[in-house]
Amino acid sequence: MLLAKTLRSTTLRLALLAIAIFGAAVIALFAYVYWSTASFVRSRADRAIAAEQAVLLRAYADAGRDGLIAAIAQRVAEPRLVGGQYLFADAAGARLAGNLSAWPPALVTANGWGSFDAPAPPAGAPPVRATVATLGDGSRLLVGEAVDDLDAFARKIETALLLSIALIFVLAGVASVAVTRRTVGRIEAINATSRAIMQSGLGERIPVRGTRDEWDQLAANLNSMLDRIEGLMAEVKQVSDNVAHDLRTPLARMRGRLEKAYGAPGATEREHALIGDALADLDGVLRMFSSLTRISQIEANGRTDAGRPVDLAEIARAVTELFDAAAEDKGDRLVVGSNGAALVVGDRDLLFDALANLVDNAIKHGRAGGRVTVAVARDEDGCEICVADDGPGIPAHERQHVFKRFYRLEHSRRTPGNGLGLSLVAAVARLHGARIEMEDNAPGLRVRLRFPPVPAAAAEQVTRA
Amino acid sequence: MINARRRILVVEDDPETAAQLVDSLSGNGYRVDLAADGDDGLSRGRSADYAVMTIDRMLPGLDGLALIQRLREEGVATPALILSALGDIDDRVRGLRAGGDDYLVKPFAFAELLARVDALTRRSSTVIKETLLRVGDLELDLVSRTANRGGRRIELLPREFQVLEYLVRNQGQVVPRAMLLQHVWDLHFDPTTNVIDVYVGRVRRKIDDSQAYPLIHTVRGVGFCVRAPC
Repeated sequence: MLLAKTLRSTTLRLALLAIAIFGAAVIALFAYVYWSTASFVRSRADRAIAAEQAVLLRAYADAGRDGLIAAIAQRVAEPRLVGGQYLFADAAGARLAGNLSAWPPALVTANGWGSFDAPAPPAGAPPVRATVATLGDGSRLLVGEAVDDLDAFARKIETALLLSIALIFVLAGVASVAVTRRTVGRIEAINATSRAIMQSGLGERIPVRGTRDEWDQLAANLNSMLDRIEGLMAEVKQVSDNVAHDLRTPLARMRGRLEKAYGAPGATEREHALIGDALADLDGVLRMFSSLTRISQIEANGRTDAGRPVDLAEIARAVTELFDAAAEDKGDRLVVGSNGAALVVGDRDLLFDALANLVDNAIKHGRAGGRVTVAVARDEDGCEICVADDGPGIPAHERQHVFKRFYRLEHSRRTPGNGLGLSLVAAVARLHGARIEMEDNAPGLRVRLRFPPVPAAAAEQVTRA
Repeated sequence: MINARRRILVVEDDPETAAQLVDSLSGNGYRVDLAADGDDGLSRGRSADYAVMTIDRMLPGLDGLALIQRLREEGVATPALILSALGDIDDRVRGLRAGGDDYLVKPFAFAELLARVDALTRRSSTVIKETLLRVGDLELDLVSRTANRGGRRIELLPREFQVLEYLVRNQGQVVPRAMLLQHVWDLHFDPTTNVIDVYVGRVRRKIDDSQAYPLIHTVRGVGFCVRAPC
């Protein structure tokens, strides 16, 4: 889980990019060091060889061919260069002096700098770096030096370079995974808290580790934001509780007086009807008022004892039993179907209320003499409940608005209702983590509530019960 | 009257609501004592033997829930009806957990209050296990779950029978819609539609159509009442 998150993390991608750039820079730096060191060593060797050649050429200039032969013989006997190689040959290539027996094939025609493999070498002998000069009479002089130390030096540098690059990559990899995990861990803590808040209310807070780093600052800021929201919500709740109380008390008195007048003897038929209508209107206002309070309550913090396993199929049957008289009045057929028990964790009253609203809508806004279907289904991804009618449906562009409070479609203005039913459905769905989908039933409307699967612990509780 | 000598304690701080409560309860034969705050309610509640108490949820001094809790802790088992102006969904649950026996949200119909108070006073009286319920010429056989009126069998759906049974068991009493939903559908909320009226309407058509007199009556703004003519 955390590993998968680590691998997907932006931090890790940034770290890998940084490693790539840094690695390229390190390789370039090492290449430069290698190249400049090697060329320094090489040029030092070349200077030594050139100095030796200059001495021999001076001997030739001073004492001719014999002088040179003598000088070479002396050099071979007491080498000035480590592993020095000398060959003096005439224009035809016959050897005149030196410790090389024959002209090396690589340098037969060359003049100037070159290199060749040592003749008659012990296995693994180093190559020879040499310079060739053609003298006035066409004879040629080769002065060379085995470049053993140069190669060894280069190999050491190469090894050091490769080792350090490998080490850098390993350390950088480990460091970036560690940094990423830490970052992912902190972000995951924030994510977990946000999810908990969306699910169960504003009580949760992001853990602060006391490191006073930017993560702690973020956590502290988010927490104080949550404190503020919670405070405001509490104030709003306090105000609405007070409004509820202060508004309901006079309404209660008013209803009491009306009821008394309604039951009092001596009222004419007309007065009786007027008072009855006033009572009915007052009850309508009160119901709308309590619907609003109810929706706000559900939306604000959920219900504390929401969380018993309930069977959607049982609720669907009970709701259709309650509504089949209403459907019958409109000549509708109300059909319920399920593929067995469909358990969700939730609140039966609220789920009943939500489904009752959907069925009520389907009957009210569906076709008179039509068919209303309530289908409950369970599969491995959870449960769903689906209410479909074959009435005029809702145009696609209106579907997103119908969950707003007091929103009513143009053609439904005259049917009774207060525009709060679907807001309640939406609030109940959200409380239960369910998704609402509205589809074209061609013709009609299909509303689908999809519930997440029941956690194993809760399912177990049911099986035991 | 059956309610004669039944005493009720009303704990209510709003004077006008209190006056209406006293008025309507004593109009129905109860003897009513009034307490205007929680502390008064506590001392009265523990000293006298009341049939029922109605307790306002928000009281000055000792809060309504705390009052019930205190009384229950002291062993006072008098049935308590909580009257609350809070529309809070959780509040009913909290009220019942604190030891309340029923819960009614303000504003309420006094007929509903009376129905609930009556139900609570009947609670203590022993329940006789009947197999046959009668009202007028209607008979409900609780064993075979069938209904007869004037000797003619009436076809009812199982849920319709439950509705009728509940109404007949409470014959002569007004049964509020919410109580019917609570006992027949196990629901604790007031649906915002008239669906329950439509449902009872269908039961009424089956029971009362082409009969000499109606048995099921609608009580405007409250609920229903099954009553045979005197």
